[in-house]
Amino acid sequence: MLEVQHLHKVYPNGTRALTDVSFQVEDGEFLVVIGLSGSGKSTLLRCINRLIEPTQGKILWDGTDVTAASGAELRGIRRQIGMIFQQFNLVKRSSVLTNVLAGRLGYVGTAGSLAGVWSSADRASAVRALERVGLAEKAQSRADALSGGQQQRVAIARALMQNPKLILADEPVASLDPVLSHSILQYLEQLNREEKITVICSLHFLDLVHRYATRVIALKDGEVVFTGLPQEIDKARFKEIYGEDAIEVKAGLSA
Amino acid sequence: MTPEKPNRWRALRTTLTAVVVLVAYILAYRGSFVASDTPIDLRRLFSVELWSKGGPLLRDFLTPDLVDREIQPVTLQLPVPVPCGSAENGVPATTGPRLVPSVPCAAPRDKFRVEGFELQPDTELQLRWRLPSGQYFPGPFITTDADGHFSAEFEARPIVATKDGVPGQIEVELQVEVGAVKLSRAFFDVLDGVIVTIFMALIATAAAVVVAAPLSFLAAQNVTRRGRVGTAVYYLVRTVFNILRSFEAIVIATLFAFWVDFGPFAGVLALTVVTIASLGKLFSEAVEGIDPGPVEALTATGANRLQVVWFAIVPQIVPNFVSFIIYHWDINVRISTIIGYVGGGGIGYYLAQMINTGQDNKAGTAIWAIVLVVWAMDFISAEVRKRYT
Ligand SMILES: Nc1ncnc2c1ncn2[C@@H]1O[C@H](COP(=O)(O)OP(=O)(O)O)[C@@H](O)[C@H]1O
Ligand SMILES: [Mg+2]
Repeated sequence: MLEVQHLHKVYPNGTRALTDVSFQVEDGEFLVVIGLSGSGKSTLLRCINRLIEPTQGKILWDGTDVTAASGAELRGIRRQIGMIFQQFNLVKRSSVLTNVLAGRLGYVGTAGSLAGVWSSADRASAVRALERVGLAEKAQSRADALSGGQQQRVAIARALMQNPKLILADEPVASLDPVLSHSILQYLEQLNREEKITVICSLHFLDLVHRYATRVIALKDGEVVFTGLPQEIDKARFKEIYGEDAIEVKAGLSA
Repeated sequence: MTPEKPNRWRALRTTLTAVVVLVAYILAYRGSFVASDTPIDLRRLFSVELWSKGGPLLRDFLTPDLVDREIQPVTLQLPVPVPCGSAENGVPATTGPRLVPSVPCAAPRDKFRVEGFELQPDTELQLRWRLPSGQYFPGPFITTDADGHFSAEFEARPIVATKDGVPGQIEVELQVEVGAVKLSRAFFDVLDGVIVTIFMALIATAAAVVVAAPLSFLAAQNVTRRGRVGTAVYYLVRTVFNILRSFEAIVIATLFAFWVDFGPFAGVLALTVVTIASLGKLFSEAVEGIDPGPVEALTATGANRLQVVWFAIVPQIVPNFVSFIIYHWDINVRISTIIGYVGGGGIGYYLAQMINTGQDNKAGTAIWAIVLVVWAMDFISAEVRKRYT
């Protein structure tokens, strides 16, 4: 279980990105975070694994205080939390296989990994992870030779290598076509249902939210303005979250 | 970020300019030292007389010493009994290289003429007396004319005498070119020099990479500038790079010369220091220019700092690093030529020696070699960089 308590983030330039954010995520949830761009979604997700230092507040992960951890303890927490990014964030010039194996770095020794020595178990599970996202035959390709959708699937395989209990996905489909959006989100849904991996995912399109979320929180100017089930987001709530002038746009092609 | 746009002709142009400057320098140097009491008389720089020597000098440079033929010493001799009748008179040949005295024999202290025919033209030779004992007495230096002819007065030495019926001989030693044309000594010396210079540059570049590559990460904001210690290290390394970069290689080479002997070692050391500073800056900028996405992603997997650098940063900077290294090797070949000129060894040193001893044809060989090497390095480095990025 993840508990976020009174989280604040003020950037060095004075921007208040998060203000007193509190919520809980039960194991097995598919929590979707929505909000206009600039509302603080990325900041919130990155505070959870401390890629960004919160200014104030507490984050508890299965009872461990993430905000107080440092060094090896922090790395130990991070390796249980997979992360997927809007820009995929693969190492473009490295092979797909190397990118996937890199998901294992939190578990292996420094010297061996720098020398490029991987256990046969790690290699085998890298191949399995690639099979799982349907890219086994691309293992030796350079990452930047793949299409956007394929790269995001490699990123999912990399996250799988961590044996994660939680996956953070920061607008994982914002750079992809609608068809591909569904394919990526279905992989996440599958992991959520079959492997019981908790997913916290920020999304832009409401139809995707309705289709995949088990619960939704909405941010506006760094504050939580809604927590509830996806079907509770009616016209009034929508205007509240996105502003009076907003009109709902669909990602389309519901699957 | 990428180094200066490669231009195939730039190196050639620069080198040719350097040759012209060199000619002017040599003229000024020789003009002021040879013909004047005061060490340097700048007025002489503008004298017509001095610049009229520029032509021959340039001609020597343009006709490099590349080939020669095997030289064999050949001795021409002719018996001349002293005193007359003490032995049989020598009979001069009538064709081919030969010595012809004006008298067939002589009394001690007699003066007579010796003519030479069909010898090497325009060559300085020395006449001498060869005694029956094998010892010889040196005679006058003579210079043959364009037809290989000379005529000189020669004196029969008082002590020169026939011994046991064997007369003394007049003699001249010729250097005769025999056999096929082959690459000259200068050619191989220049080749040696070029190889030494290229290797000096290579060693300096390699040593600099070993130092600059790790340091460049410390001088990169996105890697080091975290926390108080990190920030301090970042500024420290940066400052060191900046200070080192403000020195010229040749200045550092001179500083090192006080410490180790001036020679290839001081040259390489100086070049290494300058290259560390320059590569350090280029490298750290390359590190700062990477896509931060993969760094973020691998940090999120629980990888430690070293693993993140190795897996997320290094693959991104390899092409840039390779291109900078080759670019610098190219630059270092030029700098080490200059350092060599002031005493650092290699082709530069050879050039300086040849100029200082007035062997301008050999200096010409060296200059052409430098032009060729600089152009070739520039070309190769441009091609490799093009292919690698
Ligand atoms: N590194 C940063 N420095 C200063 N301000 C930032 C930084 N990153 C984000 N912000 C600001 O914080 C706010 C929240 O940004 P972000 O978390 O990226 O929102 P979202 O992901 O919902 O678009 C925005 O106003 C943004 O401009
Ligand atoms: Mg964002």
